Amino acid sequence: MGEKRITFRLSDAFRLGYDNVRRRFNRAFLNVAAIALGIAFFSTLSLTDAILRFNSPKESGLVIEGYQYGLVLVSFVVCAVSITNSMLIAVYERCREIGTMKCLGALDQHVLKLFLAESIILALLGGVLGFGTGFLALVLVCIFMGFRALSIPPSTLLLLLGKVTLLSLALSMLATIYPAYKAAKLDPVEALRYEV
Amino acid sequence: MRSDVIIETRDLARYYVLGGEVIKAVDGVSLKVYRGEYLSIVGPSGAGKTTLFNLIGGLDRPTRGKVIIDEVDISELDAYELAWLRCRKIGYIFQTFNLIPTLTALENVALPTIFAGVPRDEGMRKAEMLLKSVGLGDRLNHKPSELSAGQQQRVAIARAIVNDPDIILADEPTGNLDFQTGREIIKLLKELNRKRGVTVIAATHDLKMIEVSDRVVFMRDGRIERIERMGV
Repeated sequence: MGEKRITFRLSDAFRLGYDNVRRRFNRAFLNVAAIALGIAFFSTLSLTDAILRFNSPKESGLVIEGYQYGLVLVSFVVCAVSITNSMLIAVYERCREIGTMKCLGALDQHVLKLFLAESIILALLGGVLGFGTGFLALVLVCIFMGFRALSIPPSTLLLLLGKVTLLSLALSMLATIYPAYKAAKLDPVEALRYEV
Repeated sequence: MRSDVIIETRDLARYYVLGGEVIKAVDGVSLKVYRGEYLSIVGPSGAGKTTLFNLIGGLDRPTRGKVIIDEVDISELDAYELAWLRCRKIGYIFQTFNLIPTLTALENVALPTIFAGVPRDEGMRKAEMLLKSVGLGDRLNHKPSELSAGQQQRVAIARAIVNDPDIILADEPTGNLDFQTGREIIKLLKELNRKRGVTVIAATHDLKMIEVSDRVVFMRDGRIERIERMGV
């Protein structure tokens, strides 16, 4: 049957993923908000910790306790469950769409790629939004405690931004793997019959 | 030399078990479809038309029998080759159009070119050309929800032919359209069949839609009842 070339370029996956995030903004916003909340919590805590270390002598006892990071972990689990739930609903909502794509030549791995690309876009949006929110919360903490937020070295800020970006990527992708796998494995015949 | 027969089904059957009962959706269909032919498959709802289409398109696996497309038994194809078949060899048209709601008409038509590995600019150019050829040059950037049912089906037809397939499988393409719009869609399909030489297999339960056909296959209860040649 000639040359059998089926592709789905990464750039196309991200472009379609971006279109989907933009045009289904309400659902995407829920996921972004979930990531942003967890990341904001973590950012505020980390930045407060940095400021306390920088501004306050150790003996004052004003340090962030380990259990508070435990709470951050719990918030990450809650975020991940919320994203998985929202993505699973999205898979069922987009059942016919997935079936149609498979009819037009998409392979299972292409559907997986599309969902993971969307998850990366959501993670980056959520990460940046979460970091910004966390920083704002920190400013409030500083005003309340009489510290100057700018007293954090820029290198610490940048390091934290890198950390939260990686964290939000890991969080979003982990939470999306199962729904993306379900989407990829949908039987096109069943998917095309599916009515929401 | 290429064979005149583009699709052949041999004793094709697909059974389902539903609530402990065996449903014979397609039950021993042997059929030859000739290259460049316009074939209508007529039968009441539940006659097995959609299942037959799914089997021909490699979306479903038969319980028994074979589907041979261009002398290749598609049961021997792997997932990659089947996807290629659906992308390049066969164009699908559905009763419910099945356009991607978040994409514009232009993006919907260009979608199969992505999987075919066509460069983006070229895919978009071709999609635009095809949309203009089906009379939707002024609706390129409209979403499906902003188009009428007839316009949506035209977009679906443009999408079905964007990768220059040899075969178009149209499952009740006029089922959701009023009579006049349905006639226009059938006319468009016939035009594609005549001008591009693409083989069209159209399922319908509407006898008024079969006059353009070269042959009509009447199906009932998963079997071929009779085949009639239309006098053109």
